[in-house]
Order: sequence, then structure tokens, then C-alpha cells
Amino acid sequence: MGLLSIIRKIKRKEKEMRILMVGLDNSGKTTIVMKINGEDTSVISPTLGFNIKTIAYQKYTLNIWDVGGQKTIRSYWRNYFEQTDGLVWVVDSSDLRRLDDCKYELDNLLKEERLSGASLLIFANKQDIQGSLSPDEIAKVLNLEAMDKSRHWKIVGCSAYTGDGLLEGFDWLVQDIASRIYMLD
Amino acid sequence: MEETDQSSHDIAAAAAADETLERKHAAMLERLSNRHLSRLSGKPDSNSATSFESTQSFLTQFSQSKLSIESHLSRIRENADPNRKPDLESISLEISSLEKLVAENSYFLPPYEVRTCLNTIAQLRQSVDDVTSLVIPKKKFSFKNKPSKKATTVPAEKEVVLSEPEIKLNVGLEKLGFRDLNAAPGFRDRDNEVLVKEFNRTESTGQNGEFTLSNLRDCEVRLKGRLRALFMDKLINCKVYVGAVMGSVLIEGAEGCVFVLASHQIRIHNAKNCDFYLRVRSRPIIEDSNGVRFAPYCLSYQGIEKDLTEANLGEETGNWMNVDDFRWLRAVQSPNWSVLPENERIGMVDVSNVGNVD
Repeated sequence: MGLLSIIRKIKRKEKEMRILMVGLDNSGKTTIVMKINGEDTSVISPTLGFNIKTIAYQKYTLNIWDVGGQKTIRSYWRNYFEQTDGLVWVVDSSDLRRLDDCKYELDNLLKEERLSGASLLIFANKQDIQGSLSPDEIAKVLNLEAMDKSRHWKIVGCSAYTGDGLLEGFDWLVQDIASRIYMLD
Repeated sequence: MEETDQSSHDIAAAAAADETLERKHAAMLERLSNRHLSRLSGKPDSNSATSFESTQSFLTQFSQSKLSIESHLSRIRENADPNRKPDLESISLEISSLEKLVAENSYFLPPYEVRTCLNTIAQLRQSVDDVTSLVIPKKKFSFKNKPSKKATTVPAEKEVVLSEPEIKLNVGLEKLGFRDLNAAPGFRDRDNEVLVKEFNRTESTGQNGEFTLSNLRDCEVRLKGRLRALFMDKLINCKVYVGAVMGSVLIEGAEGCVFVLASHQIRIHNAKNCDFYLRVRSRPIIEDSNGVRFAPYCLSYQGIEKDLTEANLGEETGNWMNVDDFRWLRAVQSPNWSVLPENERIGMVDVSNVGNVD
């Protein structure tokens, strides 16, 4: 029995997925996690460090690692890369000025070997704010098409404020991971 | 014959052994003294004066600085003269460096000493404040319609400071072609102006938008009503008064500014010598900032209560002083920010009677 099949067996038994949420500060990572978990989103402080949420989603257990995005602590992101099944990159669609920063950090992140197998979901957050860029526009700026061949990815417009789009995004992510790890069971 | 030969050989061997032992001993002594010397001479310059690893020497230095500050202060108190303001400023600088000293040495000091030192510093601060208000009568805050002209003489060197966090503007956005960054609502590239914007409360668009303040100098900005998000970058010597922000406020690069803001979240990056009067639902954070001071929100205009209440900002949360400094992850108070002393705070600011210019 190969190592891969052992790992698959263990994972199948637990039906666990490890999901890493990253993105620039102020993009709404913590708010997204709180919202899908049905918690109050009106009092959220900028994340100093990280939060872990375990959520039962469909027949899976999601371990969501929500890591702070402030510049000073971005260098610690790599401490969370190990064994990541799904990567969620959150973009503040209303912050046009820092889209360059956003592209730069995402490109850096995707170079990481330990994340090479992970499915990538991009949330174009804050769609409810007037003047926000659409998911298509964000996809263009971030040049997402360039990784068509190397990775499973999808961009979804959402609003952590209203909750729109969050389930659509996580549905895709969970299905995509499941079809890779659990072989369509 | 053989025997004596043998014994003399033994003696010679013993003498030789003695000699090597002695040599080793001498070498060891030399090594030791070298090490001692290098320790004596090396320590002060390699570790500078900021770290002693010895509670005793730290306390000596601390009490010396404390005494010198106190004697300075009492001299100024005896001879109250408004021209002594620079002296007072240098004293508060000394206190700040004393605080820094405590922070740098906190890793080896016993908790008790850290606490007493911090208390002493707080007391010193208090007495500086007392002397300041004694020597320099408190300025009355008054609302001027135009920002004062004299402020325009400062620029030149300040430009350099703020250009550091500047980013090459949006290479990515150019690719888009169909979206102009400057078309988004906001005030940009203004100098010495009063900028007023009232967000319409009846239209849904009015409260769902974001707003940007970018590259302003010597301006006074008044944003009334409710808005969803507020971005600010490169503000110099500005006064910014804002009603209710239902989402987050992001500030990147500000110097010599006064902000009066109510918001759900506030992030402050690269700010220098700014005062913030905040009401905020979560903990404000600062990053790469220094000389920033915090106080409670103090804005009024007709209808502000309604705006605040509907934005869930009706009540004081006390979070204005729960500041997290991402550049200072230690138990002791960050030297980069402080609570604005009450006698230096501006009073209630009323921006009721100014029209809309935008």
C-alpha cells in the first residue's frame, strides 16, 4: 500500500479539510469566516495573529485558518502553509489603490511549493459597496487566467456584509477539494 | 649506572612535563585575561548603553535620568516663562527615551521593577503636563473657516518623509483601461482648501459608497452623514472630521494631522505626529507609526446622533484607547502611541453650518 493511499484513507475517514484564508489587511477575511459561521460581524478587530474555526459543512469538517493580513505579519503566513487543501484569497474590491499590492502578495504566495496542490478560491469581497470592481475586472488585474493549466481556481464576487456569494464560493471550494482527495465518493 | 641513568631520565621527563603544564597554565591565564579585557572593552560599544543585563546598573541609570528630568522640571517651574516651551519638549523627549530604555530592558528586569519604572514614567509625564499648563496657558480651540496660511511654509522636507510609503501607482489597473482610479468618489491633490461633502441619507447610493481622501495638504475636510468605507493616503497638516463610517477606515501615510472619526474598524499605517479622536466598535490598530495620540470622539453637526445610531455607533465603546501596535508585540506599552492628555484635547467640534462644495 502506497503512502498516498494511506493518507487518502485517513482523510476519508475524517473527512477533514484544511483551508487557509489570506489576503491584504482590511479585505474582510475574519468577517467572511464569522458570517458563514453565523456569528455577529459588527465587532471585529483587525486580526493580530490568527483565528481557527472548525465548521461542519455538508458532510465535511472544515478547519479554517484565518490569518491576519497586516503588512508586519504577512511574513508569518508561510507558517500556515503545511497540508493546506484549499486556499482562499480575499480581495477588497473597493480598494483600487492597493490592487497592485494585492497582486504582488498573491503572486508571491502562489510561488510557494507547499501550496501547489491546493485549490484556489478568490473572493472579490465588498461587492455591496458602490464603486467596487466586478469579479471579472479583478480577475483581469490579478491575471488569473495565467494559471489555468497549473491550478484549480475560481473567482466569486461576494459581500461578507450581506452574506451574498459566500456559500457559492465555499461550495465550489469544498467540491473541488473533495473531488481531488476523496475521489468522488 | 643504568639506574641513575633511568632516574635522571625520569627527572628530565618530569621537568619537561612541568614545563608544558606551566606553559599551558600561562596560556590559560592569558586567554582568561584577554577574555576579561574584551568583555570590559567590548560590552559598552557592542551592546551600547541600552542593554545592561543587570538590574542594578539599569536601576542606577534609570534613577539618574529621573533625577535630571526632575531637576530640569523644577527649574522651569520656579521660573515660569512661555519661552521655555522648547525645554519642555526636550524633557518629554527625554521621558520618551527613558520609556524606551525600560521597554528594551524589560526582558530581563523583574516584573516589579518594570512596573515601578513605568509608574515613575507616568508620574514624570504628569508633572510635565502640569508644568506645561502652568507655563503655557492652554490654547482655546476655535474653529477657523480657512486653514491658516502660515502652515504652507512647512512643505519641502516633509515631502521626503511621506514619499517613502508611496507606491508606483497601479500598474495593474492600467491594464484594465476602462476604469480610472481617479473617477472614484473622493477629494484628491488639493492644497489649502476646505472640503465639504454631505452624504445624502435618503438615497441608498449615498450610504453605500466608499470615499477617498488622497494627497491633501493643509486642508480641512468635513464629511457628514453615513458612508460605507473611507480610504485616506498622503495627508499632511490636515484636519479631517467624519460622521459615521459603517465599515472600515484605512489610513496610509499621514503627518501632522487631526482626525475626528467614528467607524467600525480603523487601521492606521505610516502615521507620524497625528491626533485621533475616535469612536470605534473594534480595536484601532497602528503599524509603522509613531507620535500618534488618541482621545474620544468629539464631533457634532445637526443630525449626527441619528447618523451614529443608525450606523451602530451610538454608544461610546471606550475602544479609542485600546490601540494595538503591530510593530510592538510586547507586554509593555508601545512607545509609538499614547493617550492624548486631557488638557491638550480640542473641545467639541461643530461642523453644522457649512455648505456642500462638491
